[in-house]
Amino acid sequence: MNHQPLAQQLVKKCLARGADAAEVFVESARHLSIAIRNGAVETVEEAATAGVGLRVIVGGRLAFAHCNDLRPAALDSAVARAIEFGRVTTADPSNALPRDPGVTAVEGIYDPAIAKVAMASKIDLAQTVEKLAMSDPRIAKSAGANYGEQESEVWLANSNGLAKSYRSSGCGVDVTVVAVKGDLQSPGNESCARRFFGDLLPPAEIAGRAAKKALERLDPRPLKTQRAAVLVDPDVVWPILGGLLAALDGEAVLQGASFLAGQLGRSVASGLLTLVDDGTRPRGLASCPFDGEGVPTQKRTVVAGGVLQGFLYNTIVGQRAGQASTGNAARDGFGSLPGIGAHNFSMSAGATPAADVVKATRRGLWLKEVTGYGIDAVNGNFSGGAAGLWIENGEVAFPVRGLTIAGTAREMLEGIDLVGSEIDLDRHFAAPLFRIREMQIGGE
Amino acid sequence: MKPVPGSAAEISRRQFLEVGLQGGLACVAAPALIERLFASGAPTTAPVSAPVAAARIDRALLERVIKRALGQGGEFAEVYVENRTARNILMEESRFKSAEFGISQGAGVRVIAGDQTGYAYTDELTAGKLLRAAEVASCIARGGAPIKPVGIRPTKRASRVTVKLPLGQVADERRLDVCRRADRAALDFDRRIKLARVSYYDEVRGRTIANSEGLFVTGELPLLYFIVHALSEGKGTRHMGRERISRHSGFEMFDQVAPEQVARSCAREAIAMLEARDAPSGKMDVVMQNGWGGVLVHEAVGHPLEGDSIAKKLGVFTGKLGQQVASPVFTMVDDGSLPNARGTTDFDDEGTPMQRNVLIEDGVLVKYLTDILSARQLGLARTGNGRRESFRYRPIPRMTNTFIDRGHDKPADIVASTRRGIYVQALSGGSVDDVSGMFNFTCREAYLIENGKKTAPVKGATLIGSCLEVIKNIDAVGDDLEFGPGTCGKGQRAEVEVGQPTVRIRGINVGGAAAQG
Repeated sequence: MNHQPLAQQLVKKCLARGADAAEVFVESARHLSIAIRNGAVETVEEAATAGVGLRVIVGGRLAFAHCNDLRPAALDSAVARAIEFGRVTTADPSNALPRDPGVTAVEGIYDPAIAKVAMASKIDLAQTVEKLAMSDPRIAKSAGANYGEQESEVWLANSNGLAKSYRSSGCGVDVTVVAVKGDLQSPGNESCARRFFGDLLPPAEIAGRAAKKALERLDPRPLKTQRAAVLVDPDVVWPILGGLLAALDGEAVLQGASFLAGQLGRSVASGLLTLVDDGTRPRGLASCPFDGEGVPTQKRTVVAGGVLQGFLYNTIVGQRAGQASTGNAARDGFGSLPGIGAHNFSMSAGATPAADVVKATRRGLWLKEVTGYGIDAVNGNFSGGAAGLWIENGEVAFPVRGLTIAGTAREMLEGIDLVGSEIDLDRHFAAPLFRIREMQIGGE
Repeated sequence: MKPVPGSAAEISRRQFLEVGLQGGLACVAAPALIERLFASGAPTTAPVSAPVAAARIDRALLERVIKRALGQGGEFAEVYVENRTARNILMEESRFKSAEFGISQGAGVRVIAGDQTGYAYTDELTAGKLLRAAEVASCIARGGAPIKPVGIRPTKRASRVTVKLPLGQVADERRLDVCRRADRAALDFDRRIKLARVSYYDEVRGRTIANSEGLFVTGELPLLYFIVHALSEGKGTRHMGRERISRHSGFEMFDQVAPEQVARSCAREAIAMLEARDAPSGKMDVVMQNGWGGVLVHEAVGHPLEGDSIAKKLGVFTGKLGQQVASPVFTMVDDGSLPNARGTTDFDDEGTPMQRNVLIEDGVLVKYLTDILSARQLGLARTGNGRRESFRYRPIPRMTNTFIDRGHDKPADIVASTRRGIYVQALSGGSVDDVSGMFNFTCREAYLIENGKKTAPVKGATLIGSCLEVIKNIDAVGDDLEFGPGTCGKGQRAEVEVGQPTVRIRGINVGGAAAQG
């Protein structure tokens, strides 16, 4: 069903009720998830749903209402509530809506075939992945395999005449198996998500990776507290990239709540670090033609050779900073105001093959698991729980767990001294294997 | 609560098995597609919304839906109908940046056949859509022998939530006023406080639950959640302090705990931590202050005792019922019936009454937390722990108000008898992998203990250890039980309260940036 007429009609209604500017975001989605365990279907969940988010500006004051009941009486009530709230917030000349009618051409974000694949094939895919992941006898338990898919369509209209929409899809497989030895249990998880069903990796590859992760960390040995090199696995780059992303948020920078405030144009990391935010990558999981408030997406290098190039903005925060929106208004569905977030956020690959990064390390921790909150965007402090593989003389010596690692963003970013050449871009935060020269590791 | 980009994600993020997407939890600001793929909610995650027409669904229709849900077989069917109105006000930089009003309604239909569950939901509360959801959910049971559902009849549940000032009767101006008062108190606390962020949230959630056992309950619950952040700056560093209060109650919550009190507590933390040096790293003794520190048992013990992972024989406490698993001074309780607490409801999201569940008594494991499905699978009683974030999710075993019960030690004596270690005054939150049994916590505010005295503040302390070991190493439990509010994540969110008296844990791994001196 095309909701563009509804979006435009609601914009008019907001204006008629007293808004000076209005934006309507409509989203409809279809969702399926299947959980398998020990070969049997454990749950099947299915639903279709739709909702509306209304953003209004009344005399410079910002307010929002959302509603998942699309009948006229409910929508009228939502409009009234938004306008009512628009009379109580604080006026700000920066409160404005986007004007750019353009959209970025992005290839391959919707796969019409997903819905046509038979349910039985989807169940079979998850069952196959689980079965293959259990093929090693040391893998004694399964925590299950999942298949999930979603198709959604968004329509956005605002009082500056914008009227845009796009349709997108995604699907994924996920498996967790457990290697057991006596009282020790070591889980290994692997997941694969893609825009297109046909792009999902072969089951054997996903299964093999999950089993390898469970087995390689089964029999951990204690480690003494020490300083040593840390190799960051592509699976655990979120504590670093996530912290950087939060510190790149233009609003945190304006508020002095980011360790990157005041660093524009300066060196903030090793020359080996380049970070790219790309909303345009073909078939990218976070690619789309426009952001959460209708601004065309772009591909931007935010850190180049260690030098900070720019921050992330939506329209309102950009206005406050005297900058144009960078197309980074992030919206978590129709029920949320647009905040600031990244698209496909990645650290660029380097020149050293991953195997050589390991070989070049005399003594170090190959991080395979990190817990905690990652780098604190406010002050750059970092501390977390850690597990992984211990490296001695360029080779994996034994698994370790129950460790802690700590340091500061500056120490970690400037300490990057080797960057792997292989990268899988089909991840939320993508990065190659890379090495930090030295960090504090807490153990026995 | 909508995550604010750049802020730490809400507490108790559990690295749970169903998703297993590394880091998915950390990227609060990023596009949500990946996280949504395996989670069971479609487009929205903000808990929201509304009483437009508190959908009236009659008993006859509920019975038809249950009957249709069992049309293909299965032993249990249930309809869960929900409506929610929510208000969310953000005051930041001393300005009201935004105000949000949310209205949501919908229903979920569930069918259980053996170990299998079918679930479907709809936003539209029409007979056609409800029956369609029942059909979709029923597919799981294809081929089974149908049972005959029992006719539903109204079921009474005791109320645990009292309201003096109903949220529906509170003028918006009063909501704005508590935000202003907190903002002013935080900024007035010290001139090194540069910024306050005050987030006000309230909701009224109506629920109607009917099932094939004949249950038919209905009720309405108010909820308030008030969070203050304060940013301090000085000595070349910054710290974001945080304090929260939350209750299932009317607006009278702010008469019991003044917004100024919340703000000052948060500002005090922000200022204290400006002086913090790097925490040491290595094994040491830890004393945890009463209150929110209870998140330790929530993660390290509570999650592994949830019936779903026990039924799958994955949890580290599998098969340990009746065994001594903890130190004899350790008793742990989950009680969803504490009056007006954040984790309290009149009945869980399957309609089971809330009760006090002693999980570990004097160190002996006596109970697991169950929902209807895991209780069936384990052959145990229902404990009132079947909860769901909204109609978009099927219920799963969750904690409510979880705490280490009061002991006999004096808090001051616990510190005085600790020669060297870390005093944890406030935790951000933690997580657990209940397969490997490893948990971890991040400290917000911590101090060194030197010669039995709390001394210098330290930053960046992570606590990490094994669930089975940590509860054996608790050797002192204070008499000062206190609670704190939070939000627990397990693929879907749940409002929880955690609590503990002051406790001491011997020999836990602490990770800071400094080498141990």
